[in-house]
Amino acid sequence: MKIDRRSFLALSIGSTAGIHLTPLPWKLMDDSSIWTQNWPWTPVPKDGAANYVNSVCGLCPAGCGILVRKIDNRAVKIEGLPGHPVNDGRICGLGLSGLQMLYGGTRVKTPLKRTGERGAGQWRKISWRKAIEEISNTLIEQRKSGNPQALGAICSSDQGTTSQLLSRFLNVYGSPNFLRTPSVQSSYEMANALMNGSPKAVGFDLENADYILSFGSGLLDGWVSPVRMIRAHSIWQDEKVPVVQIEPRMSHTAAKADKWIAIKPGANAVLALGMAYVIIKEKLYDKRFIEKHSLGFESWKDEKGRPHKGFKQSVIENYTPVKVSAITGIDEAIIIQLAKDFAGAALPIALCGSGDGTAPGSLNEMAAIHALNALKGAINKKGGVWAVPSPDYILWPELEMDETASKGIQTERFDGAGGKKYAQARSLLNRLPEVINASSESPLQSLLVYNANPMYTMADSIAVKEAFAKIPLIVSFSPYMDETASYSDYILPNHTYLERYEDSATPFGFTQPLISLAKPVVKPLFNTKHTGDVIIKLAQVMGDQIAKAFPWKDYLTCLKTTMGDKWKTLVKQGYIVDKNHKAPDWAKGFETASKKFEFAAKAVNTDPKSDVIAPSELKPADLEGDAKAFPLVLIPYDTMRLASGFIGTPPFVVKTVGDDVLKANDSCVDINPQTAEEFGLTEGDKAMLTTPKSEVRVRAHLSEGILPGLIALPRGLGHSAYDKFLAGKGINFNALHAPKADPISGLDTTWGVRAKISKA
Amino acid sequence: MENNHKKGKTKKFGMVIDLDKCTGCGSCMVACMSENNVPFKADETDKRLSITWMLVYKFNNGKAHPNYDECYLPRPCMQCEGDHGHSPCVSVCPAVATDYSHETGIVSQIYTRCFGCRYCMAACPYHARYFNWWDPAWPADMEKYLSPNVSPRMRGIVEKCGFCFHRYQLATDKAYYEGRDELEEGEYQTACTQACPAGAIIFGDLNNPEHMVHKIAQPDAKHHGRPKNPNAFRLLERLGTNPKVYYLSSRKWVRDSGDNYRPDEK
Amino acid sequence: MDLDSALWPKDVQRCSFPKFMIGITVVTLVLIWGVYAALLCWFKGLNQTNMNDYYGFALWIWADLAIIGLGGGAFFTGFLRYLVKKDELKNIINYAVLIGFICYSSAQLILGIDVGQPLRGWFIFWHANVHSMLTEVAFCLSCYFVVLCIEYIPLILENRQLDKEPFFHHLSHNMHGIMAIFAATGAFLSCFHQGSLGGVSGVLFGRPFGFREGIFIWPWTFFLFTWSAAACGPCFTILVTKLTETISKKQLVKPDVIDLLAKISGWMMFTYIIAKTVDTWYWALYTAPSKGFNWAFFYSDNAFYGPWILWLEIVICGYIPAMLLITKKTRQKNATLWTAIILASIGVCVNRWALVLQVMAPPVLPFDTWALYIPSWQEVATTILPIAYGVILIMISYRYLPIFPQERELNPITN
Repeated sequence: MKIDRRSFLALSIGSTAGIHLTPLPWKLMDDSSIWTQNWPWTPVPKDGAANYVNSVCGLCPAGCGILVRKIDNRAVKIEGLPGHPVNDGRICGLGLSGLQMLYGGTRVKTPLKRTGERGAGQWRKISWRKAIEEISNTLIEQRKSGNPQALGAICSSDQGTTSQLLSRFLNVYGSPNFLRTPSVQSSYEMANALMNGSPKAVGFDLENADYILSFGSGLLDGWVSPVRMIRAHSIWQDEKVPVVQIEPRMSHTAAKADKWIAIKPGANAVLALGMAYVIIKEKLYDKRFIEKHSLGFESWKDEKGRPHKGFKQSVIENYTPVKVSAITGIDEAIIIQLAKDFAGAALPIALCGSGDGTAPGSLNEMAAIHALNALKGAINKKGGVWAVPSPDYILWPELEMDETASKGIQTERFDGAGGKKYAQARSLLNRLPEVINASSESPLQSLLVYNANPMYTMADSIAVKEAFAKIPLIVSFSPYMDETASYSDYILPNHTYLERYEDSATPFGFTQPLISLAKPVVKPLFNTKHTGDVIIKLAQVMGDQIAKAFPWKDYLTCLKTTMGDKWKTLVKQGYIVDKNHKAPDWAKGFETASKKFEFAAKAVNTDPKSDVIAPSELKPADLEGDAKAFPLVLIPYDTMRLASGFIGTPPFVVKTVGDDVLKANDSCVDINPQTAEEFGLTEGDKAMLTTPKSEVRVRAHLSEGILPGLIALPRGLGHSAYDKFLAGKGINFNALHAPKADPISGLDTTWGVRAKISKA
Repeated sequence: MENNHKKGKTKKFGMVIDLDKCTGCGSCMVACMSENNVPFKADETDKRLSITWMLVYKFNNGKAHPNYDECYLPRPCMQCEGDHGHSPCVSVCPAVATDYSHETGIVSQIYTRCFGCRYCMAACPYHARYFNWWDPAWPADMEKYLSPNVSPRMRGIVEKCGFCFHRYQLATDKAYYEGRDELEEGEYQTACTQACPAGAIIFGDLNNPEHMVHKIAQPDAKHHGRPKNPNAFRLLERLGTNPKVYYLSSRKWVRDSGDNYRPDEK
Repeated sequence: MDLDSALWPKDVQRCSFPKFMIGITVVTLVLIWGVYAALLCWFKGLNQTNMNDYYGFALWIWADLAIIGLGGGAFFTGFLRYLVKKDELKNIINYAVLIGFICYSSAQLILGIDVGQPLRGWFIFWHANVHSMLTEVAFCLSCYFVVLCIEYIPLILENRQLDKEPFFHHLSHNMHGIMAIFAATGAFLSCFHQGSLGGVSGVLFGRPFGFREGIFIWPWTFFLFTWSAAACGPCFTILVTKLTETISKKQLVKPDVIDLLAKISGWMMFTYIIAKTVDTWYWALYTAPSKGFNWAFFYSDNAFYGPWILWLEIVICGYIPAMLLITKKTRQKNATLWTAIILASIGVCVNRWALVLQVMAPPVLPFDTWALYIPSWQEVATTILPIAYGVILIMISYRYLPIFPQERELNPITN
């Protein structure tokens, strides 16, 4: 056949048309779309049998019950545990994102030993046996040199078996230097110790209060027990319970409150005493409580006949509304009305501890607010502040101390807690940098870090790093590669809270004694080990008295033995609560010498001229920095959408952070439009924020919700550790200020720092 | 579609969100993300590229201190009914990849059908629809937490809240096995409703006078479900989208922020 | 003689082959840049664009609407030529068809890039939702594209070498014979898809800036789009013709042909712009206020989406070109004719811009903020891509096909 041009063309056209009549192009078209519906790089989750495990959330100290949904062996969703006394089925964003911590990219998958410079991120895998052996050798060495007190431990809590095992290890080793990360709990305990007579934890009977006066407590911004607080808020809404929020910036708590009173920062104590003035003047206080169950309200004479000014007289002399108004920036009329409203309520409660409650604050402020509660008898009363019994289930055999241990344990704590200056304090982690940096050789030679990330959470990041650099051995138990783990010598990764057993006692602020049990939701994913097991193992390797102090085969045995007959209920239900617990009545509730509430606790007051907690001199707490060079004041704020504690914020929660808080990698600072104008800033402008400690780049967010002259920076950002979903985003407030020790408690009192801002 | 529209049997699932109780904590957003396999990326601060089926808006009354006030408003998909199921997005989808169910009142989204024209997004005044600009990725072992009840979405398509429809399916399956025709009020709840620490979200069948949503919102059937409760309102009522999410607020300025008003109306 | 002169139409002069190839190469480079951007969008996804969840409809959709509006010259000239029997227009119809072909094929290409799942694009036919304006667009657009192909094929067959083939010669001849039917079909289809493109934003009752009332299921913008395409499309045909004439340095179409088309366009524009004015008026006075908006709100936030857009679209690119075209004196004066056709072409583009991009900008939720958008280079490149493609197609077609029947007469070759 001859193929000429014509037949060629005909053939081409014919075959093109022909192919379209065959199924081929249509099949290809169909197949290609089916391919797009099943792209191999878009995962298809495997189905399987659904089952649920109840446990306890371990991402913050609130102790919410959780119910984890599983498909076969995979945990797929965390929900709140219905019926749990703290959260009754509800759950916060952080708790919901726990699986991103479990399965995420920040896990430490095996024990690691540092090979390069500290913090350089160079590690070598090491076996558990070898790691424990090496650490025990160092500790034995150190102990032999007669310095057992040079071993320290940092821990977020002193409750629960794991923390107690760690504390026990320190004791039997011979060191008093067990450090608990500070929070407003520390201040409350101290106020309790001084005014109620015992350093008990406190509970807030918020659900039953009928008037809520919050001195900057971020009740809806993560304070103490976030889900419980939000649930309480809904009760207040239903029952029309007034909520008054006193703070210089409108937080979510302030926005939801019936009244937001914008106070000059640092003036809370003055306002509380100013309110006390009105209540006393108008005789609105609880007469029965004041007369029968308190001491130091009226002026008195001591055994030697010397006259002492009582609380009443001291307040009347010093806290007139005019003076208080000038300091707090609040109208006299508002102060008077506020006092009357508070006193007029049947079951009011005043709360203390700014933001999420991790800042201890000044003892003065704490005491003033505690005194305000006392005026209304809101202590150990329905709706008030209760002393909550310490958990009593950990009853381990008495320690046998060898000579080294007995000697070591007698030495003064390196942080000065319980010493001459800070007699009331139990632990002063905030003083660690100051003390270590002041000495040529660090008083701590070895440091164990459990459930804590001090390199991130402690103020003055540079000083903290300097101090840590001077500690020869740092061991982190963190399951995640956080800032402190990154800077340690050994990481002995714990299981995450979803892979381990762990008990927790009554969470701070909760009124009913509660024990909760976390249990493994999934089998450990990696070569991690329960820190309890590591401590037991470490002790056993070290031998002698130390080994004897840990007679258990492993942590689980220890936990089961400790729980005794409670174990079964805990495994089944997840918690045991004493629902009938009531606050001790006034006659029995105070353990002071007088068996009464004491206004006369002079130890609380720094003013030598005053005999009671109300100082004679009025002043807001002072601040770091020169007011001329730094005309503005930078305050931190907390939000439910950022975790500022030892757990980094997981990706889901970071995703909820507004673009007025974080934009690209810049922290946004709240600034009043009036102040912004003064400094030539408009919405979204990049700006340089300078404090005496550091200069950082931020973006301006203009808001009428903050007083002029202030700048507010969110806490929880500025991580250098963790993964790309968190690291490098924003600024850490702790890098911008130094801690300031309260003269009595020794705890950090900072609530802000002087600053300036200019357009970048 | 219309055949299923049997009287009495048809559900109209809806929500009441109490803005007096909502504290803006963002729990609902995370509950939604973790329930529905919503992806995330390294930078989520460009909110117009960030997939949040449930989004908490924050707005204020525009006044200066001390009259300044703020409000938080969670915004799921409104599951608009429009006029007889003629919701803004359903009517424009060229490939019936999104549909209004007269059986449940839920606006569905078929991910394998959608070809990503984004017309529905242009149509939705609530910005409840999100496009997958990127391939979703779950780094490290995070694929393990993906729920088999919700398929992860591929790049190039639109997704949105469907009132956790898979939970409805699970609940009805369970009821079926137990020989029941009807679900109890609490049996089908969305993930955000369940998580909300404030209990600010209430979910149920607006057609059922026994259900809380009906009791609170008091939808007026004669006026496209407009609420009779004076504290209740719906977003952009005037557009005629006929949404099934009601909001409660005791503050007038908040209720007024739910819709647009000309200067001469104020 | 040039290398390819055997392929040129009879008795016309073309530039030298090397010069032609240089031109083609330059434009091809632009084309390749566009293709590269398109490949990025296909393989990496639409994250290559600056679109977002607020601006899901952006530059591309605007380009689509605009080029289809501009390509409206094909259907309307066809309508006038075959149905109204304006016989003179046979001298420009070929070019109108070619421009239409380019515009419509470009539009489909852009849509192919714009959708997130191009391989599922056919779902629009398979799972069609009859309520959706986009479905109507897709059907009419594809069908009309087939019509344009059918109209373009005889032109290709008229190439000097192809025409030698008796089969092609007869095919072409016969196709010409039945072209009136296709022209009618094309006009009908065009009315609908131009209209449904207008309906795209007109039906968005959740978007008060774009929403319009109307008749039955069709919002007013439905009719306005068809009308404006019929009015401005021929202006664009004239514009491209004039450009071609300028570049090739010769007259290709007789002035009376241009004049006729311009005059009809002028009257179409005049009536259109009055209708548009009434529509805008009604929207500003009734539609927007009924949804709680003062019309000025939509022009209040930023300078970009300011009231100047209304002035530009309605007065400068509406009334002015319309007046210039219906007035004989200005229509026949070269400078004013140029002004008018350029303004008219801009006018239809601005109109499409306002009804796509501006619709996305203003907030609807009272507590939301304005959205502004700047296209990424990938979007710009893929939008320029069809222009390059069009230029190439025009260059080739002009060189090898007898597009302008009057060319020989107007440019006799003197040896």
